[in-house]
Amino acid sequence: MLRTLIGRELLDNLMTFRFAAAVFITLLLVVANTLVLLKDYEQRLTAYNKAAQESHQELREEKIYARYAGALVVHRPPNPLSIFNLGLDKQVGNKIEVYHAFVPTIWDAEKHGADNPFLNLFTSIDIVLVFQGVLSLLALIFAYDALAGERERGTLRLVLTHPIQRGYILFAKYISAMLCLLVPLLISLLLSIILLTTSTTVALRADDFLRIGGIVLTSLLYVSLFYLIGLCISAMTRRTSTALMLCMFVWGVLVLVYPNLILTAVEITPKPDAKISVYNQIKQMWEELEREKKQFIRNDAILGPPSRGGEDMDAGFGLEGVEYTFWQGEDKPSILLYFHQTGLYAGKIKAESEPQVPRVQNYYSFYNRETINTVERTWLVRKPALKTIYVQPANLGRMLLRFSPVGLYDTATEAWAGTDLEGIQDFFSTVQRHRRAVVDYFYDKKIFESRQWFAADKGTADWDALPQFSFQRSDTGINAKRALPDMLLLLTMNVILFTVIVLIFIKSEV
Amino acid sequence: MWHIAKRELSNNLNSLRFALATVLLLGLMLTNAIVHLREHPERVQRYRERVSGHQNHIAAHASNGLYDLAQEGPGNLYKKPSDLRFCAEGSETFMSDRAQAGYHRWSTGTLKSFWILAYPSATPNRDNVRPEVTKVDWGFIIGYVLSLVALLFTFDSISGERERGTLRLTLSNPIPRHTVLIGKFLGAFISVSIPFILAVLVNLLVISTSSGVHLDAEAWGRLGIIFFVAVLYTCLFLALGMLVSARVQRSAVSLVILLLVWVVFVVFMPSTLASIAGRSTSSGPTYDFSERSWKLHNELSSDYYSRHYKEPEGSTKRIEIDGAYVTKDAEQQEQLHEARLNRRIAEVHRARTITRISPVTIVQNLIESFAGTGFERHLQFLENVQTYVREFRTFIVDTDSADPESLHIFGVRTGMSQEPVSPEAVPKFEDTLNLSKDFNTAATELLLLTLFVLVLLSGAYLAFVRVEV
Repeated sequence: MLRTLIGRELLDNLMTFRFAAAVFITLLLVVANTLVLLKDYEQRLTAYNKAAQESHQELREEKIYARYAGALVVHRPPNPLSIFNLGLDKQVGNKIEVYHAFVPTIWDAEKHGADNPFLNLFTSIDIVLVFQGVLSLLALIFAYDALAGERERGTLRLVLTHPIQRGYILFAKYISAMLCLLVPLLISLLLSIILLTTSTTVALRADDFLRIGGIVLTSLLYVSLFYLIGLCISAMTRRTSTALMLCMFVWGVLVLVYPNLILTAVEITPKPDAKISVYNQIKQMWEELEREKKQFIRNDAILGPPSRGGEDMDAGFGLEGVEYTFWQGEDKPSILLYFHQTGLYAGKIKAESEPQVPRVQNYYSFYNRETINTVERTWLVRKPALKTIYVQPANLGRMLLRFSPVGLYDTATEAWAGTDLEGIQDFFSTVQRHRRAVVDYFYDKKIFESRQWFAADKGTADWDALPQFSFQRSDTGINAKRALPDMLLLLTMNVILFTVIVLIFIKSEV
Repeated sequence: MWHIAKRELSNNLNSLRFALATVLLLGLMLTNAIVHLREHPERVQRYRERVSGHQNHIAAHASNGLYDLAQEGPGNLYKKPSDLRFCAEGSETFMSDRAQAGYHRWSTGTLKSFWILAYPSATPNRDNVRPEVTKVDWGFIIGYVLSLVALLFTFDSISGERERGTLRLTLSNPIPRHTVLIGKFLGAFISVSIPFILAVLVNLLVISTSSGVHLDAEAWGRLGIIFFVAVLYTCLFLALGMLVSARVQRSAVSLVILLLVWVVFVVFMPSTLASIAGRSTSSGPTYDFSERSWKLHNELSSDYYSRHYKEPEGSTKRIEIDGAYVTKDAEQQEQLHEARLNRRIAEVHRARTITRISPVTIVQNLIESFAGTGFERHLQFLENVQTYVREFRTFIVDTDSADPESLHIFGVRTGMSQEPVSPEAVPKFEDTLNLSKDFNTAATELLLLTLFVLVLLSGAYLAFVRVEV
């Protein structure tokens, strides 16, 4: 009996204009957007490869270790699954320095240059966004007349004269509509995956397909939720046009209005004032280091004060070289970073300054060690501050978004694609570990106190022996774990809504 | 006719959709006003600080003499934030709020590069790890929500009556069909307008009563134009709704068709089509920009060094060669920057032309132009900057030629006037907006929108005349 019902419903749905239109529109949107996104991804990948190659060369042009600042740069490759959900992949920086004097975070990263930054005016929609808007609309269009329509035509009464439970009728309707909605979803996804695999630049691995599977599963839950919302409205209203109109209002509010409204509202919530005080706190720590450094040099009668600027090159240490300094940039308070590090490099060392070299080495050993200690201390302040200033408002926005299924769907698919905040932070924690490894390597090989740190006359820096940076996206298991809470929420909402519909339908009069 | 309109109106006013639309629009407009009140004073404050910083920068260099002023340039020039930003955010975050009129590249022992005008690109959202958001501005409310509401009010205006059988009744009266259609249109128009006007009034009331934001007479005029555009746009969707409603037998089918059309025009056209157009017309990568710049500079400098040392030190000839080198270099580099900017703008223009098929894009462009935000505004800002830069350079030349002791050789300290410059005399940058220019850029789009409305209205008329009851 159930099978007959499903068969009837399927036929009813498949032979309609709306089904054809649904398939056509979804295909059109998904294919067109895949092409755009693919091109965009290719451009980002080219920029990444070019930048990675450039910084590889730049580093090898340096002769002394101290010059690795600004030259040892790692790059974040674009995520191929960003085609499905762009998330933060394009938004945050993808070029970051590895340097012992600061801990790299998302907020220190810079962006690769774009061909034409004005083209950002045209927002690109990713595949999840298409599904989010179009599939939810289609689900509602399939659902609005499922009960109200039959009631209007009088066929509902006919069906109910048969000895079947009302729950079965609902179930049959649900299953057949979901099957119909699956068709555009799967066909369009298949097409876009075919497009991806034919492209030479995108290399999808086996676990990427698992992640795409996760995205499909989430999409299913999302579509089913919207179908149930439509069914619920259909069960409560007498007339189909009222049902459809109500459905559209609900769609407009949930998909169009609520997410934008809530995020716009969150942006004006008062920002924590911690920024300035934390910045000053960090500044104090660095100034303390500066004082210690001066103390150290003052105690050493031979070294004297280091030189300033490029004008009198031969002062201070008595070595030939230029002092370099990092200034706080204009926007540095926003990332709570402050350092005023000084150093000195010399191409060659004059014979008369040769006796001073061990003392300079001693100085650098002290100075670099203290710098790293200061960095560790500032990081203790900086890490929680960054969290309150940037991460917490963002998380507040995401949490409020979850009141709409759109938000749940978006966060869950982001987690699957690995373009969510945590996925991006995975990269930056890898960079932080890499920095630690480089520093450890420098300690191990005694590079901080070596002659090659500041002079290139007796042996130059060996860059190939540095620990290599490699970044692997997290395993599918971790993606799944991150996506699970939102998917479970979606599932719970589905179940609750279905129960509600069954209750309404059982009590309703035909 | 009025009778029909009145009947339609009373029908609509008592309906659920009227209540829902009112609540929706009111909520959105209220949020928009509150957000604007929170953000705008801060923005204006920041702009003022930057402008005064810029003036101090000029004054500091002017007191050091003409050479310093001519070498350093006027510094960063900032875009004035529009008072009507709540109407259209206009993707302002994707466009830089400044032009760099003081971009340095090199200095040798005696020579320093002259400033050039560079156009930095914006770095939006670098610090921001929030989910992306379309700001709730008037453009969003009118473009997306109001159009949806207009469709929801008209989808059953004819097919619904046919279903209920009242259409036959109405047409049996001795009234021409077009009167019926116009009456229905007016009824729907008024019933959509009421919640919209209410929401707009609340929005403007909140904004204008606050002390932090001041709207002048021109701003009110602009708001009037934006309102007119919104009305035109609503008419477009009402006409579309009636057209489909007249052609289709069942009102549910009519709404389905309308929604699908709406999705294609609102979701597909503005972003995807523009992205395809923009990216496919993209004329090659620009990372060779810095290489080209270096190459030009190196050619020039090698040529310069070969001639520089032939002349004895301190001779006028040598100063002339120095000056020619510096000015020529600045000129070349600036041309390079300008060429890149123009190429980028042309690409965006091409992409935007294609998206004009979508009424949503048209209306958003229109609102942006009249609100003084968005791309066209940015172009006007750049034009203002370029005019100012010419003025500034003329000022330097004039001041120099007014000094009889100067050698009139630009680019070298010894070749220029040594007299101090009074900071008041230096021209000041003022970023202004010109309403007639806005009209000029918006004219095509305004006409296009009117054309769309007329076509759809006549389409609805024809469809209704031929309708069989």
